[in-house]
Amino acid sequence: MKKRLYLELENCIGCRSCLAACTQCGGHEERNRNYVYDVNPLVNRQTMPLMCLHCVNPACARSCPAQAIQIHETGAVLSALVEKCIGCQNCTIACPYGIPKFDTEQNLMYKCDLCIDRTKNGIPPMCASVCPSNTLQWLTDEEIGNRKKQFNLDNGKWVSSLPYLESETNVKVNLPGILQGIEKLF
Amino acid sequence: MQAKVAVNQKTGKSIDDAFASHFAKSMFLAVCGLVFLSFIGTRMFTHVDLNLYGYMVGTFIFIGGFFYRFIAWGERPPTKVFIKKGIKILLRRSTPKTTVEHLATYNFIWNRGIYRWTQHVLMGWGCILSCFVTFPLVFGWMYFTMDENGYYNIIAMGIQVMTVPADGLIAKLSYNALNITAVMVISGVCMALYRRLKNMQARAEQQFMYDFLPLFMLLLVSVTGLALTFMNIFMHGAGQPAMSLIHQWSVIITLIYLPFGKLAHIPFRPMSVFARNYREHYAEQSMKGCKVCGNEFVSTEQSKDVIEVLGRNDIEFQAKEGHHLAEMCLPCRRKYRIAQFSGFPIHEVKVKEANQDAKG
Ligand code: HEM
Ligand code: SF4
Ligand code: SF4
Repeated sequence: MKKRLYLELENCIGCRSCLAACTQCGGHEERNRNYVYDVNPLVNRQTMPLMCLHCVNPACARSCPAQAIQIHETGAVLSALVEKCIGCQNCTIACPYGIPKFDTEQNLMYKCDLCIDRTKNGIPPMCASVCPSNTLQWLTDEEIGNRKKQFNLDNGKWVSSLPYLESETNVKVNLPGILQGIEKLF
Repeated sequence: MQAKVAVNQKTGKSIDDAFASHFAKSMFLAVCGLVFLSFIGTRMFTHVDLNLYGYMVGTFIFIGGFFYRFIAWGERPPTKVFIKKGIKILLRRSTPKTTVEHLATYNFIWNRGIYRWTQHVLMGWGCILSCFVTFPLVFGWMYFTMDENGYYNIIAMGIQVMTVPADGLIAKLSYNALNITAVMVISGVCMALYRRLKNMQARAEQQFMYDFLPLFMLLLVSVTGLALTFMNIFMHGAGQPAMSLIHQWSVIITLIYLPFGKLAHIPFRPMSVFARNYREHYAEQSMKGCKVCGNEFVSTEQSKDVIEVLGRNDIEFQAKEGHHLAEMCLPCRRKYRIAQFSGFPIHEVKVKEANQDAKG
C-alpha cells in the first residue's frame, strides 16, 4: 500500500522533534534537512515545518548539470549522489522553496531524501515517526481521502497543492483550520 | 529543441556538414587521433604488440559508448551552460590550484572522512597510474627494447627517452608498475567493500548494481592482473594464456561499462573545476541581491542561468510580486512559502531566522 507524507501545517507546536529525528536517519550524517519556521514571531507562537515536498517535476533535478539528483521509483527526489555532485549549487537556486543545503567543505549538496531506506520499505520517514502533534503523518491515499471528507470544505481548496505551491508534489500539504477559518482545539 | 534543428540543418558550408551528427564527428576525430598517435608511436606500425589486440578493440568500443553518453549529457540545458562558460573562463589564476585539489588530492573527500579519502586515493590513483602505463603500451606509444649490455631503453612516441640498467631501481619499478597499482586498487576496493558492509550510512543508500558492481569489476581486473604476474614467477607461466584472456575480458568489460554506471564520474568530474571557476568568476563580476532582504546570495549570472534553464523545462516560478523565486535568497524563499500558507508576510519581518540545525 503506497503511503505518502501528509502535512497538516497548523498543528505544529514548534518542538523541532522532526529536525532532531532527521539527523538520526541512516545516510543523513547527523545533519538535519528540514526546517521549522515561526509564522508571525512578534505576535504569536504558531510555527510551521517546511521540508522538501518531492515535486513531481523537480526544479532541483532539472537544473543539476551533473544529473546528481535522482528520482526514486517511489517518487522521492533523492539527495545528491556523492560521486556526481560537482558543487555548482544550481539546485539551491532552482528549488522554489529553498530546501537543498550545501556543504562547501565537502563540496556536496544534501537534501531530504524522504528517508528512502525506510520509505521504500513502507516505513514512515523519521520526521513523521516522531511528530507528536500529527503535523507530519504517513498515510495512504485512501486515508488522505477520508481526511478530505472529514474536513468537508466546499471551496474546492482541500489539499492545498496549487494556490499555495508552485507545482504538483508527492508530499501533500493541508491547512484545514486556516482554510476553514476556524481555530482548532486539541 | 532548437539545438536539434540546428544540428540537422545542412547548409553545405561548414566542415560539420560532412558528419551525420555530433556523435559521428567526435567518433571520427577520436579514432583518427588514436591511429595517428599509434602510427607515430610505433614508428609506422613496426612495433605493434598483437598480444594486446583485445585491448585495442575494447578501447574503440569504449570510445563509442563514451561519446554516446557524454554527448547526450552535454545537450542538457544546465550541463551545456557549464561546459560553454567553463571553457570560456578556464584560464583563471586559481585554476591550477582548483584542479589539483579537485582532481588529484581530493581535499573535499578528506572533509567527508579520512577513511573515504584513503579508499578513494588508493582506487583512483591506482587506476589512473595503471592507465598511464597500459594505454601507451597498447597503442604502441611506449615500448621497451633491450640492449646487449644489460641496459633497457624506454621508448616513448618513437623517441628514446631513457636508458636504464636492467636490474636498476627504475627498471624494477617499471616492470612492477602494474603490480603496485593492482595492490593499491585491491586495498582501496576492499576498504570500500568493508565500508559498504559495515557503515550504516553507506548501507542506507546503496544498491547492488550501482554501488557494488563497479567495485567487483575493479577487483576482478586487479586480481586477474596480479595472478598473471604470480603465474609467471611462481608457476613458470602455467595457465598464463587462459588468465591473460580472462584479464583482457575483465578490462574490456569494465571499459565498456564505464560511461554508464558509477564509474562515469571519472571522465565527468573535471566539470567540478568548471563549476568552481564559474562560481568564482561571476561572483567577482556582480552579485545578486535578494529581492526581499537585499543580501547578496549568488552571482547575477548564475541566478539568470538557472531561471533560463528552468524556463527551458517549462518551469516558471513567478512570484506575484513580479520577480522570479530564484531571485530571493534561501531563507527569504522559505519564509515566503510559509507566508503563502499562513497569509502573513513573515519574510518581510526583520527577525533573524530561527536556528534550523538540530545541534542543540
Ligand atoms: C578524476 C578524479 C576523480 C574524482 C574527482 C573522483 C571523485 C569521487 C567522489 C567525490 C566519490 C565519492 C566518495 C565519497 O564521498 O565517499 C567517488 C567515489 C568513487 N570513485 Fe572516484 N573520482 C575520481 C577518479 C576515480 C577513478 C580513476 C576511479 C577508478 C576506478 C574511481 C573510482 C571510484 C569508486 C569505485 C567510487 C565509489 C566508492 C564507494 O563504493 O564508496 N574514481 N569518486
Ligand atoms: S521541493 Fe525543492 S528540493 Fe524538493 S523536489 Fe521540489 S525542487 Fe527539489
Ligand atoms: S550542487 Fe550538486 S546536486 Fe546541486 S545542481 Fe550542482 S551538481 Fe547538482
